[in-house]
Parts: sequence; structure tokens; C-alpha cells
Amino acid sequence: MLRAASDVASADASLVAAIRNGDEAAMAQLYDRYSGVVYSVALRVLGDTGAAEDILQEVFMQIWRSPDMFDASRGSLAGWLAVIARNRAIDSLRKRRPEAEITEVIVSVEPDLVRGVEWSRTIEKIRGALGSMLPPQRSALEMSFFEGLTHSEIAAKTGEPLGTIKTRIRAGLLALRKACNP
Amino acid sequence: MSVHEQFADDLALYAIGALQGSERAAVETHLRECAQCRSELERLRGDAALLAFSTSGPRPPSRSRERLLSAIAREPRSVPVSRSKWGPWWSTLEWAAAAALLVVVFLLLHQNRLLRTRIGDLEAGSTEQQQQLQQAKQLLATLTAPDAARYVLVAGNRPPQPQGKAIYVASSGTLVFLASNLPDLPPQKAYELWLIPTTGSPIPAGVFKPRQGSAAIIKPPLPLGVEAKTFAITVEPEAGSPAPTSQPIMVGTRG
Repeated sequence: MLRAASDVASADASLVAAIRNGDEAAMAQLYDRYSGVVYSVALRVLGDTGAAEDILQEVFMQIWRSPDMFDASRGSLAGWLAVIARNRAIDSLRKRRPEAEITEVIVSVEPDLVRGVEWSRTIEKIRGALGSMLPPQRSALEMSFFEGLTHSEIAAKTGEPLGTIKTRIRAGLLALRKACNP
Repeated sequence: MSVHEQFADDLALYAIGALQGSERAAVETHLRECAQCRSELERLRGDAALLAFSTSGPRPPSRSRERLLSAIAREPRSVPVSRSKWGPWWSTLEWAAAAALLVVVFLLLHQNRLLRTRIGDLEAGSTEQQQQLQQAKQLLATLTAPDAARYVLVAGNRPPQPQGKAIYVASSGTLVFLASNLPDLPPQKAYELWLIPTTGSPIPAGVFKPRQGSAAIIKPPLPLGVEAKTFAITVEPEAGSPAPTSQPIMVGTRG
């Protein structure tokens, strides 16, 4: 999925630059590189292959139409696509208009984590960290991220105090960070 | 607890879109003024991306690729879409800056017109002042010229007598003094003119040596607002004296 590259960020920036010039072949390369990330997130959120395909199409068409939405100098393309796909899928799930301008979303991910040779290990680390979390913490994190629930909704659903939910979500995110950036 | 710690939990919720209402607004307000928290927000979104990566595995069907490539082929981009990399809020700032510049340009043009009018007025006033100054210089040159010939008009056949005329404006402290037919001075001596006020000591009003008995003194400024009872002339050392050292040879009251 994610090809081996000595400098993922540089390669991504080159692809986006080519897309900016209307290069359809570059667009195909970008799709081959990252369609799995976008599709798998959308499928996890929506639970429907057709709906996930629609999100996939929507996200990549947006890049084609406005490649400058992503600023290669300020973040990771893989991370940005993952977050954008999740946000669009949540919007679709909750049948609401897109909330944020995606140009405002900057996602900082260590480039080494998404290099081809490291990708499998990164996934293992993330899944390992999730598996190590206490069920209420993992549940709070996944309900907020994959179901799009607010902390108030999670608190109401679980019967836990609001502050506890907040703390669990933050601690969960930091645990993922720590697992991948020891 | 630092302000960053205060927002720490809310920042994490904000990063994954799980914060609503006033708490969300408070975080956004803080983010606008806190670079440290903006940086942490980017990292938290990176952490959220890791969570998204955990779903990795499923592959989209091949038809999705064909669908996308067909769509972009139908939508060629002859002109790249140019957007500010700083996002729409920055674009708004750019427009606001452009509008502000336009206003400033209009203001400057208006001010420029006013200044040009003012400069025209000043030039006209300056020309008038130059003419007045020229006339004053001519008057002074005439009064003080070494070769100025002075004529004293007297009634009948009486011989010319020593004479002095002081024209004094107390409010401005200016004095014009003209003298004629003064007797020759002893060596290393000079005449000194004195303003004798209604109260107080005599005030030095100029030291002079007449040429062929005549002299002219233009003396601005003397102390302002001093009412003169009389003017007097004494003979003093060449350098002048701070107070009269001899009896006046001429005294005159206001005529």
C-alpha cells in the first residue's frame, strides 16, 4: 500500500505539485499510495462499502480540484488524508454539512511511521497500544473518533462523569503517541 | 495549573471534533493566541491519525480507481486553482488588507490635495513676506549706510544743533535712534544711549560712534513692555558701560 520511499514527505510534495499542474498520472499514483488509508477509515466509520467508496471518491476529487488544500511543508499527507476521511465519514454518518474547512487541518505525523518498510510495524504498535488500554478508555476513544460522539454524549451513554471521559480520550491519544514515538 | 494544562483535555477533544458549545469556542479563542497549543493540536491530530491507521487492511474495489480516474478525465484543470495556503481566514485578511489600503490611498489623495492647496497659500504668503522683508532691508540699509547724507531742517538761520530722535515701541522692545550734529568724541570714548524707565535703573540701548556727527541705531530687542520716561546719551568707554558713568549730554522726553 504505502511504497518504500527514502523521503515520504518529499515524494508526496512532488506528487501534489504535479497534480497542481493537472497531471492525471500523478493523481493515479497518489490514489494507489493512499486509497487504502482513506477507504479503511471511511469503512470503519460508516460500516458500508458503498458509502466508504463515496467518501473515497469525494476526498480524492477534492484534492484534484484544489491540490493546494494540503500544505506539504506543514504536515503529513497520510495523516491529513486519514483525518479528513474520518471527518467526512462522520459528517456523512451524522447527516450534517462538513464542519471545518479542511485547509485548516494540519496533521503532524512522523514521516518514518508511514514509510513503506515501517508501515507494518507502525500498525502493529498502534494496535498493540489499543489492546493495552483498559476497555473503558479504548471505548471512549473509539466512540469519539469512529462514531463522532461528543464527550457529553459518551458520558450520557456510559454513565461516566464528563471529566473522566475527557481525561480518558486525551490519555488514549497520548498513549498512541507514546507507542509510536518511544 | 498553567493555561495550557487548563486546556489540555479540551484540546484533545477538539482535535477529534468531540468538543461542542462554549467549551469549543473557548478552545478556539485560546488557539488564536497560543502558538504552543496550536502546535500541540497538530500533534494531537497526528495521534488521531494513528488511530485512523489502526483500521488499515481493507482495500477499495478496483472500480473505485476507475471511477476516480474517469471523473478527473472529465474534469481537466486547465488553470490550477490557486488558494492561499493559510486558508480562508487568511484570504479574508488579504481582502481586508486590500480594502484598508484602498481607503488609505483615498485618504492620502485627499490629504495631498489639501497640502497642495496649503502649499499654494504658503507660496503666495511667502512672496508677500519676501517683498516686505526686501522693503525693510532697504530701509535699514538707508538708515545705517556709512555714506547716508543726513539733512537737519531747522527754522530760520540758526546753526544746526546736536539732535537725537528715538522711535520706541515698548510692546515689542524695538528702537530706532537717529542722531546728528553730535560733537567729536575724545579718543577711546563712545556715545551710549540709555533708556530711562519710569521706574528702575537706566537700560543700555546701544553704543555708537557717529560719523561726521551722525549715527543710527536699530535696536531690537530691548526688554519687552518697559515704559520709557526718557532717553539719554552719555559718553562712555568704547566698550560701553552697564550703567552711566558720566552726566548725560543729551536728554529727551516723549514728544
